[in-house]
Amino acid sequence: MERKVAIIGQAQTKHSEDIGMPRERMLFELVKGLFGQFGITRHDIDTFVLCSNDFQVGRTISNVFEDTPVGAYMKDETKVEADGVWAVTYATTRILSGIYDTALVVANSLGGSEFRPYLIMDYQLNPTYDRQLGFLNELSTAALQARSYMDKYGMTDAQLDMIAARLLRNAAKNPNALQAKADATPGYVAGSDYLYEPLRKLHCYPFTDGACALLLASAEKAKDLTDNPVWIAGMGDSIESYYVGERDLFRSRSTRLAAERAYKMAGISDPMGQIDVAEVSTKFAHQEPIICEALGLFEEGSGGEVADKGLSEIDGEMPVSPSGGGLGAYPFSAAGAICVAECFRQLTGSAGDAQVANAGAAVAHGQDGFCAQHNAVIVLSKEEG
Amino acid sequence: MAEQERIVVTAVVPLDYTYNYRVGPYLERYIQELGGKKIMAIKCGGCGKVVVPPRKVCGECNRVMDEWVEVGPEGTVENYTVGHVTLNKGLIEPADPPVTLALIKLDGATSFLAGEVRGIDPADLKNGLRVKAVFTDPAENSLTDLDHFEPAG
Amino acid sequence: MRNVAIIGVGYTPVFVSKRKDVNIVEMISEAVDAAFRNTNLTPEDIDSITFGNMQTFEGLNLPHLWASEHIRALDKPTIRISTGGTTGMSTLQAAYYQVASGLHDVVMAVTWEKQSEGDSQVGLTGIVMPEAMVMIQHGMDLFGGRGMAGMGGGSTGAASYQAMSYLHHSGASPEHIDKMAALERTNASKNPYAHLRKVTTVEDIQATPFISWPLRYGHTCPTSDGATVAIVASEEKAKKLADQVAWITGVASCTSDPTTANLIEGQLTDSAEQQPARIASEKAFAMAGIKNPKKEIDMAELYNGFAHQSLMWLEKLGLCKEGEAHKMLDKGALDIEGELPTNASGGVFSTNAIGASAMNRPAECALQIMRKIEGEHQIPKKVRNALAHGWGGLFQYVTVVILSDEPRKAK
Repeated sequence: MERKVAIIGQAQTKHSEDIGMPRERMLFELVKGLFGQFGITRHDIDTFVLCSNDFQVGRTISNVFEDTPVGAYMKDETKVEADGVWAVTYATTRILSGIYDTALVVANSLGGSEFRPYLIMDYQLNPTYDRQLGFLNELSTAALQARSYMDKYGMTDAQLDMIAARLLRNAAKNPNALQAKADATPGYVAGSDYLYEPLRKLHCYPFTDGACALLLASAEKAKDLTDNPVWIAGMGDSIESYYVGERDLFRSRSTRLAAERAYKMAGISDPMGQIDVAEVSTKFAHQEPIICEALGLFEEGSGGEVADKGLSEIDGEMPVSPSGGGLGAYPFSAAGAICVAECFRQLTGSAGDAQVANAGAAVAHGQDGFCAQHNAVIVLSKEEG
Repeated sequence: MAEQERIVVTAVVPLDYTYNYRVGPYLERYIQELGGKKIMAIKCGGCGKVVVPPRKVCGECNRVMDEWVEVGPEGTVENYTVGHVTLNKGLIEPADPPVTLALIKLDGATSFLAGEVRGIDPADLKNGLRVKAVFTDPAENSLTDLDHFEPAG
Repeated sequence: MRNVAIIGVGYTPVFVSKRKDVNIVEMISEAVDAAFRNTNLTPEDIDSITFGNMQTFEGLNLPHLWASEHIRALDKPTIRISTGGTTGMSTLQAAYYQVASGLHDVVMAVTWEKQSEGDSQVGLTGIVMPEAMVMIQHGMDLFGGRGMAGMGGGSTGAASYQAMSYLHHSGASPEHIDKMAALERTNASKNPYAHLRKVTTVEDIQATPFISWPLRYGHTCPTSDGATVAIVASEEKAKKLADQVAWITGVASCTSDPTTANLIEGQLTDSAEQQPARIASEKAFAMAGIKNPKKEIDMAELYNGFAHQSLMWLEKLGLCKEGEAHKMLDKGALDIEGELPTNASGGVFSTNAIGASAMNRPAECALQIMRKIEGEHQIPKKVRNALAHGWGGLFQYVTVVILSDEPRKAK
């Protein structure tokens, strides 16, 4: 690669169950705010990479209506229909190609107020078989994944509750989070109702309205715009089998391969030693150990021990999701972009109460599919490298 | 934002939004064989895996799978969940009695098939439990001809 | 940026209105297999996959997930791109950027649609669904003869306004639309991968009923089932892997605003103006080092859901002067043997598996440049530079790819 790409700014909505305004206005205000941070206009953006999902928006080619509010009128624009982390990788790819110097990523969903998320998830199922039978859905597949990990490695229900409680406490330090509780205890989580065992309501992501915008630039341009860029040091993604009944659900093969690619690009050989903080898209609490282990941040099967010892706390050995992660807020399409944005906040020292001390390198993660079939990883660094 | 009355318009689509999914030759045969109380799987000539429901491609081997193998009707529970809710068009509804859902490795198959286990106290649903398929009789030429599983023996 | 070439293309064996014999992922796998066959590559050679189809048409969300085995994506980077009618070309462009950036060397772009399993007009109507609901609540008839025109979302109705405006400004007559339609259908008859393959005369077209003046049934595209795959590679890899390649020398896209065809909220922009086509083509020409497109572009593959659009796009894309396209048609310049063969494949107008439609344009250009056309529509002259065009969104989004017989020269 001849070029380097930096993130120079981020903006998020205050995620909520009902944002209370039309999508177009939400995006207009978000992007206007981000431009305002740097005193730039839409004419400073070379390419726009939007990220939303037409099923969720309820209209075909929904980016058409986002173009004008985000400032893409008569500009180069494209749309990724997946989690927002892929919009970030694609925008980075476009800048790396040398054709563009600046890119704006805008990812959003109104999953809190506008549609039924679990119904939309059903439309990801094989319509000739799984969707006909109705056994597999967003919750039952997650429960099978949780059981697989807990049976394999002996993680207890109480330890699963500890993960969720930690994320809810972290979310209370994040001004944009939706589901949060400053004094959440494992008992508080265990007091919520079972959905599919072993998953309870508070192990799950909240239905969220929200959006995230990220401003990316080539090295030269980044230095014009900010003294505090965060560099995209590496990225990778991988997809695995659709068939839940053919996968080892207790591990994430695709996250591991995605991380291998990202680490290779970033020159990271010892993630435990070299990564200071991780922001992980956890739709469900049990996914945190599965994904973090695939990211090489903890030993395989150590989820229970990590919870017991508090290793992933904000002041722990390997802070994971200081923002509260997916349990704090999970606007589809935007969730992975938010992980990148939260890493940006950490590395620029602007994470407030959730700030991890001396964070120099971070890893962000996003996912799609049942039991996280498709995963992407981005390594971010304060060093240009 | 100042308190204000929020207006929400609800769009009810008065169109017949029907999709007709062709199941393709693999599932066609699978469904037909269910009528004869046979569970047919497909075997990969490369890695030897035997998957059910059958499909065309083994992604790992880059091969079209074409060797049909009968599997089951008995199998072993490999993973399970007890659903205290069900999702009805995406809405959570209480499930009473709870749903007992398992991933079952049918004898002769290498993949796990999702199915409901009936005739069992949810507390007794465990990995390793032997189960057998129960078919709809008479068959309806449908995927649901493999209706559910129950404890074997 | 690194040079990037299309090194091979794979189509489903046929593009037809109903593939009853296979399911969606089985159909897609046929085009993937064909691409591997045509390039002598295997999945091990592919670094990354880009995947696109029209959102919501089949009632499937994120179908790359279900298709992962069938597109041989396991353990590979995969990205889903979806921009409406332009999806096919946007998906190819994503593959292009992955190679140009140096991230990957060989990337496979997979595009498809199986329109028979859903309802495309309902899907398209979904673009303006919230507005349509307001109309329904005010008692407008969606199902009557003029319903679709009134809705704007159903594409023929909205396109008729564009056709009227185009005729008015260009001086072309409705008969020119008939003539262009007959030319493209006849071209399609020579293309084994076209859907409507019948030698067609102007009289045949004129015998079809009007849908919404000036557009007749014979001016509209079919809905097709099919898939198209292209494999792109870096210069170094392309030279190792293929004897003949077509170089991607220019890429661009441009969007305007949704009022272009939004007949309900108010059409503020003339849908025949198509500024994005001008902006995108100028950008792509500059990137490809093309100074005089009227002379240097040897063929065009245009996204024409409707027959008048071929003429319109030639003008908007800078391939001829405004008001000249119908004169070129009359001179025979747009024929396969002409100066500027236009839609030698038969165009979207004859084959329309929507997600693949904007991919079939550069795929056709690449095969023409490589002289690997199957069928009888190989352009006799040497094709050095070809323009492939995609159109979509709500009438307001344009993509352009320039393909050439030689790689882009470093500046």
